[in-house]
Amino acid sequence: MTTDAPAETMTPNEVGGRLLLVARAVTKSFEGLVANRDIDFEIPRHSIVSIIGPNGAGKTTFFNQLSGVYHPTSGTIELEGIDISHMPTHEVARLGVARTYQNIRLFQNMTVLANVMVGRHVRMHGQWYGAIARMAGIKREEAEAERRAFELLELVGLARSTSRELARNLPYGDQRRLEVARALASDPKLLLLDEPTAGMNPGETKQMTDFIARLQRDLQLTILLIEHDMKVVMGVSERITVLDYGEKIAEGTPAEIRANPRVIEAYLGKHATA
Amino acid sequence: MRRPSSPRPADVVLWALGVAIVVGVSVGAFATLSAGLLSGDQWRDLLIFGISQGSVYALIALGYTLVYGVLFMINFAHGDVFMFGGMTAFFVADYFSDSGFLNGNPILAVPLLLLVGALSSMVVAVVLERVAYRPLRRAPRLVPLITAIGASLFISNSVRGLYGDSIKAYPRIDFFQGTWDIFGIPILKAHATVIVAAVALMAVLYWFVERTRTGRAMRAVSEDKDTAALMGIDVDRIIVTTFAIGGLLAGAAGVLYAIVYNQVIWSMGFLPGIKAFTAAVLGGIGNIFGAMLGGVVLGILESVAPFLLLSGLGVPSPNQLKDVIAFSVLVLVLIFRPYGLFGRKEGT
Amino acid sequence: MPTGSDLRRAASSGLMTGGIMIYLVAVGIAPALAERQVITDYLTLGRLMLALPALAVGYLVAGRVGSPIARSASALAAGVVAGGLFSAALLASVALSPGIRSVLVRLSTGVLDFVGFAGIGLDATGGALLNFGLAAGLAVLGGLIRVAPVAARRVIVGGAGAMLVVAIVEPFLRPRLLQWGFVEFDDWLYVAHGMTPFSGATVFVVGAILAGGWPLARRTARTSIANADPGARSVLRWAGFLVALAVLYTVPWLSGSFLTQVIVLVGFYVLLGLGLNIVVGYAGLLDLGYVAFYAVGAYFTALITSPTSALGWGLNFWVALPIVVALSAIVGLLIGAPVLRLRGDYLAIVTLGFGEIARVLLGSEALKPWLGGPTGILSVPFMVGDGKYTLPLIGEQSGAAATYFPLLGFCVLAAFVAHRLKYSRTGRAWNAMREDEDVAQATGISTVNYKLLAFAMGAAVGSVGGAVFATHLQGVVPGGFVLQVSITVLAVVVLGGMGSIPGVVVGAFALIGTPELLREFAEYKLLVYGAVLVAVMILRPEGLVPDAARKAELEESRIDDGPQHGPEFDVISGDA
Repeated sequence: MTTDAPAETMTPNEVGGRLLLVARAVTKSFEGLVANRDIDFEIPRHSIVSIIGPNGAGKTTFFNQLSGVYHPTSGTIELEGIDISHMPTHEVARLGVARTYQNIRLFQNMTVLANVMVGRHVRMHGQWYGAIARMAGIKREEAEAERRAFELLELVGLARSTSRELARNLPYGDQRRLEVARALASDPKLLLLDEPTAGMNPGETKQMTDFIARLQRDLQLTILLIEHDMKVVMGVSERITVLDYGEKIAEGTPAEIRANPRVIEAYLGKHATA
Repeated sequence: MRRPSSPRPADVVLWALGVAIVVGVSVGAFATLSAGLLSGDQWRDLLIFGISQGSVYALIALGYTLVYGVLFMINFAHGDVFMFGGMTAFFVADYFSDSGFLNGNPILAVPLLLLVGALSSMVVAVVLERVAYRPLRRAPRLVPLITAIGASLFISNSVRGLYGDSIKAYPRIDFFQGTWDIFGIPILKAHATVIVAAVALMAVLYWFVERTRTGRAMRAVSEDKDTAALMGIDVDRIIVTTFAIGGLLAGAAGVLYAIVYNQVIWSMGFLPGIKAFTAAVLGGIGNIFGAMLGGVVLGILESVAPFLLLSGLGVPSPNQLKDVIAFSVLVLVLIFRPYGLFGRKEGT
Repeated sequence: MPTGSDLRRAASSGLMTGGIMIYLVAVGIAPALAERQVITDYLTLGRLMLALPALAVGYLVAGRVGSPIARSASALAAGVVAGGLFSAALLASVALSPGIRSVLVRLSTGVLDFVGFAGIGLDATGGALLNFGLAAGLAVLGGLIRVAPVAARRVIVGGAGAMLVVAIVEPFLRPRLLQWGFVEFDDWLYVAHGMTPFSGATVFVVGAILAGGWPLARRTARTSIANADPGARSVLRWAGFLVALAVLYTVPWLSGSFLTQVIVLVGFYVLLGLGLNIVVGYAGLLDLGYVAFYAVGAYFTALITSPTSALGWGLNFWVALPIVVALSAIVGLLIGAPVLRLRGDYLAIVTLGFGEIARVLLGSEALKPWLGGPTGILSVPFMVGDGKYTLPLIGEQSGAAATYFPLLGFCVLAAFVAHRLKYSRTGRAWNAMREDEDVAQATGISTVNYKLLAFAMGAAVGSVGGAVFATHLQGVVPGGFVLQVSITVLAVVVLGGMGSIPGVVVGAFALIGTPELLREFAEYKLLVYGAVLVAVMILRPEGLVPDAARKAELEESRIDDGPQHGPEFDVISGDA
């Protein structure tokens, strides 16, 4: 899509502007171990961008900071101009960030439908007193949420009949879909997908890749991907950022990254480029 | 680490609470000391009593900390393991007393009592682990805790059923009557013995954990159970050993407690159990040295604080509130510094 | 023939069983129950209690695999070992008597005589032999029951169960029978507090028939309900509802004064259990200091409504109640705020600490001017007028019955609130939090707020219980607010099923009602609670009346040892 114009010509605080998320000089250290060092990162609205890198590069740590699970030791992260660097996790979710997990973390003993409905939590308003009195507004809201949940199940390809199943009884592929449905239920602005094709065969991977592209197109979502499967990354990303040893070592279009010697070296070792 | 932009109400309340406590403690202490409510000798006696009481707590606390180190669970029933040792030793002590052995040969009899107490507690602890805790190793954390509570009820009330409701008065041991003059300070023989015995046991434990193979294995298991298993350590056996050691120490503590208080009763496990747990938390749960120190500190606090703080504040019958001091320490430590004096912050 | 390992397993089970039998005598449970007749002069509850382990081990050891002969042989082996151990213990106790009594205080000559069947003229050796034979025989019987087809099992258990029930309710049934004029029936059924051999046998047969016919009846009922049209079904539902209402309305009248008191006590624990259920069951927070909220409710009520309290306002109960509930919710928030970040077991201990601090403070000299010290606060007025009121059809209600109706109302209200919450956005949030706190946060749930909410609601419900309690006793004393109460409520919730509303009712009746019905047992209440907690956690952590999700959640916590768990135990329903 676009090239990396230097940051100074962008206006990070543009709400409704070109950039959905801007991270500046983000550093995260854990008791002396520096997991992310001085990372600048932007996500343009409605784009699909990916972060790749060898194991241990700090991708998940960075991811966690974007979703509000960790907080940067230094640096800032802004979502639509709002500083989320030190915001509690649930408030970041409320602002419109949703995510899936590398090892599926569904609410295993809740039903499929309940999982999705929990995903919708931030867009609902029912409080305990409303629930007790079952006020009309609450009933409407619940019915609406359920309707939307079924829509989402259909969108991700889960049969309506599975809605009463316990999440842990679903096959692996369906569990991944359910996680996406749960994430989508909050009508997020930014969707973070952590290795969405892990453990999938080529057929399923292709399905997931197409699905991600469809999400961007049909739902106008902005998507950030962590992936190891290069076919997926190259196939669907508009821009790829490469991390290694906690630092950003390259950024660009798929073609640029494929040819970047530093990237090749990071993955395959020094001699691969020789 | 989070730096919220504005303080949350909970944090404000906590901060206010902390300030109130510091102020209260300072005012109370100052008032008591400046009014000279107690003499220097009285403070000294309270201190020594606190140390001996605290030594008992320390021995029990070690059991909590060891088990927590390997299983990350609170063995709620540990206090009753302590009680069982003291109770069993009572019957032996009675027998020894009747036959004249106890007072005729205390140097031999008393260590025997300690041994009996230690061994019987060890048996209970090991059975407890096997029957109640092992089936639940993979359960969500609440489950073993609830089981432990049930086990505690069961053990204490079984003892009540078996041996009866009444207080069992330990036979008089002449050897422990009176005081010794140590560096010019008269110390009750009972207190001195308890302190010495506790220190000896703790030293043995320290040596065991630091210097023996099994001790090393225990430390490995508490660091990382799965890796330890991969290294060829029989995790189950180590866990049993941990419970056994905790039981031995608690049983010995039970006998020492009986020597100080001259009595045992089926319900005596609860309060010392909670207080010992407080000590373990105070020192940093999982930390052996912390448990030892925490025990002594708590013992002293419990002994001295009612008079130091509350008399000064004009609170009537401060001794009634002795237990409140201990519980308050527990609550305050868990609120303000859950990893204790020597523990590490978990999971940052 | 049974294999070597089968026999070894049988032997070790037998040893354990023998140990259990010795325990039951030494702790005093069996001797205490020996006072209760089942069949007068022939069978006491105590003897039944001693028979049960032998039967059980035979049943369990007979297992599923192998020929009936082999299985029965295993059962016999277990019984022989158990009986041998037990008889040996008996002989040893007699030999060491009376000295042994100074250690094991329950082993008086009377108890040893009871165990040794001295009543029928046997000496120690004879008694030991008889015990041995009985244990072996009962084990074989248990094995045979296991071997027998499911229907036969059901029938036998039904008959035995019926006999047990009729025996246990004797103190309450007899006065009712006489009151309603069934004098001859009463004479036939009971003599000297137990059944006659004939009436006992009849009861057994009746019970067996009922149990035998139960599956058929249930199936017929289910299919006819399923096949009925919606109109008829809703009529049926309404009818059932009305019947339930009628029963609840007439409970005090039907039960008489003592039973009503028991039911009121159960009711208090139902209310408390519903409150704790929100904290433990929904939000997953183990609160061991729940009694503090009960105390807060009771003491606030006493302070506000009693004219002789430190405040002396003397307000009407119903005016005071909202104030009390609001104050308690605030206290819940205050207690919760600092501690809710703590992990599960630490939270439990901290709440325990709070509960104990509260207990000491309530009775302390320091707070005596406000809280009344050990004597508490008196002259708390009744909820309704002077504690007596008249209701249509059933006349004047006073005493426990007067408390019953408002308490019932509060229980229903609490259950209603709990039910509504469970299936709402709030309930889902609690569920999610319990499942995976981190992910719940990432889904936008403020775990801190929801935990606080649970605490506050639990406090509110508990305080209502306390308020009613204060009026029931017309006063408050600190002695009623001890740790045992917290643990009992926890046991009620755990036994019934954490998070299950009907479970709380079942748990309360089981744990509170039974010791009241079996007064001899009451001394061992806490022992049984402890055993129940351990047993439930190990065998059936989802409780007696769980919902499907909870059952799934806790199923994995059991280590699968093979055929010992699961449908084997389901003797009654026969779903083996």
